[in-house]
Amino acid sequence: MKKNYSGERLTVAIQLKRQPPKWIYNTLLTIVVFILVIYSFSGTVISADRLNNFWPSLRVMIKGFLNPNLKFLFGLDDASIPYLTLQTLAIAFAGTLIAAIFALPIGFLSARNVTGKASKIGEIILIAIRTFPEIILALILIRIFGIGALTGTLTIGIHSVGMLGKLFAESIENMDRGPIEALDAVGANIWQKIRYGIFPQVLPDFLSITLYRFDINVRSATILGVVSAGGLGTPLIFATREWDWPTLSSILIAIIIMVVSVDIISSKLREKLV
Amino acid sequence: MARESFVLTNGKVVIKPRTKIWLYTAIVLVLFFACFLVIPIDFRTIRLAQVSVILEKLFTPAPGKTWGDYFAYMLKLDQPIMETIRMSFAGTTIGAALCLPFAFLCSRNIVKSKWIYQPTRVFMNFLRTLPTLVVVVVVAFFFGFNVFTAIIAISIFTWSIMTKMLYETIETVDMGPFEALEACGGNKTKAFSYAVFPQVMPIYLSYFIYTFEINVRSSVVLGYVGAGGIGVVINENIGIYYDRVGAIIIVLFVLVIAIQLFSSWVRSKLQ
Repeated sequence: MKKNYSGERLTVAIQLKRQPPKWIYNTLLTIVVFILVIYSFSGTVISADRLNNFWPSLRVMIKGFLNPNLKFLFGLDDASIPYLTLQTLAIAFAGTLIAAIFALPIGFLSARNVTGKASKIGEIILIAIRTFPEIILALILIRIFGIGALTGTLTIGIHSVGMLGKLFAESIENMDRGPIEALDAVGANIWQKIRYGIFPQVLPDFLSITLYRFDINVRSATILGVVSAGGLGTPLIFATREWDWPTLSSILIAIIIMVVSVDIISSKLREKLV
Repeated sequence: MARESFVLTNGKVVIKPRTKIWLYTAIVLVLFFACFLVIPIDFRTIRLAQVSVILEKLFTPAPGKTWGDYFAYMLKLDQPIMETIRMSFAGTTIGAALCLPFAFLCSRNIVKSKWIYQPTRVFMNFLRTLPTLVVVVVVAFFFGFNVFTAIIAISIFTWSIMTKMLYETIETVDMGPFEALEACGGNKTKAFSYAVFPQVMPIYLSYFIYTFEINVRSSVVLGYVGAGGIGVVINENIGIYYDRVGAIIIVLFVLVIAIQLFSSWVRSKLQ
């Protein structure tokens, strides 16, 4: 058995004892986090009335959810679920495409290996877009483009530029410089370099990033309807205000089917790309 | 259509590969225009001139008020901002704690049985499709619109999203230490906490901060339906006091930037 500098035998037990006592630190951290969480709940007032009604309310809710509003779920007019689901998907698709088109130049602008120091400008623009809350953007755009799906599309189109641009820039920064140097060596101009050196390398990445964002946007397109920017969100918020569980149930069914199928399709497409 | 070809010096012929990119572009464009069949555009209601008007209303003091009033209002927001941070912190912490056992159950490399990880995954996927808004409303039906409801809704969202991120990370860890511990007789939970958890701990913390940031931003939406925090204040003022909404936007912007700086600082410490 090995001996250490002070001459004693080094066993696992001794080595374990030598370790700094982590448990004190861990316990303290747990207690602090616990107190902070408890403190966060402070000031909440839950009326006894609601608590007493817990079981009856639960029964009403479950009964409502089990009896979805079928007329609304299978209606064919433009105020029924099939049309609104299609509209939600359209908002997400058109919005994502608009965002991807705008994110391309900004992505190139904020890639450090393309523009050098000037990339800071692009980065700041992207942070500003990313941090601007989507719902406030929608509330502002409604005053310009009116109530309806167009506002939702443009909100997604503007807001998604933030994340798409950032991920595009990262993917450009990670690419291989070899092909560009080769193109430099044969005397290609900047457009030829982008077309033959950069584009083929980053295109699969870009498409997969855009698809991923489409996934997210399908979800946010439903939320945007809350401020009457089109899609499934508008009937959703009306149903919630009236605690209309059957209608809410049918909307939820539509949302789940839509989100799950988009998830499956986009992950299949992404597998093909990579 | 004849394709371009070159004859090399050694006599071989190189044919330019056929590209389908134009076909795909055409499909995407057709789909894009088809979208506008269900997105009505009414040019009479578009008022582009409003852009500058609204921006001016948002980011300058209202008529009859000074810049002093504008900034003084920001200072009055400490209460709702703190509420937003508290809500997001508690919700993220509870969700992050809940996600640990579930991420464990979802990982294919730890729980080998298909009968355990598949149902857990389906359940978590279902949870992830629920819009946070619906969760808020369902919880509010029992507990009313208050901070408690918001915390529960944020916890559920955090739980669902962090479980997915975490199990995908767990599936990529080095399984050597885990197998070693199992070989010397440790059970799965022990092996997980001593061999896998230390490996994913830094990533887990960075997911925590990332989700915290998302939650701070989404609390604007939660407040919009009345569940507390800064969103309530926005909802009260939107359409009436634009200057106040502008001030709130600036405060939120600073808050999110601060969280991002903090998170990149923590992440650099962790590596």
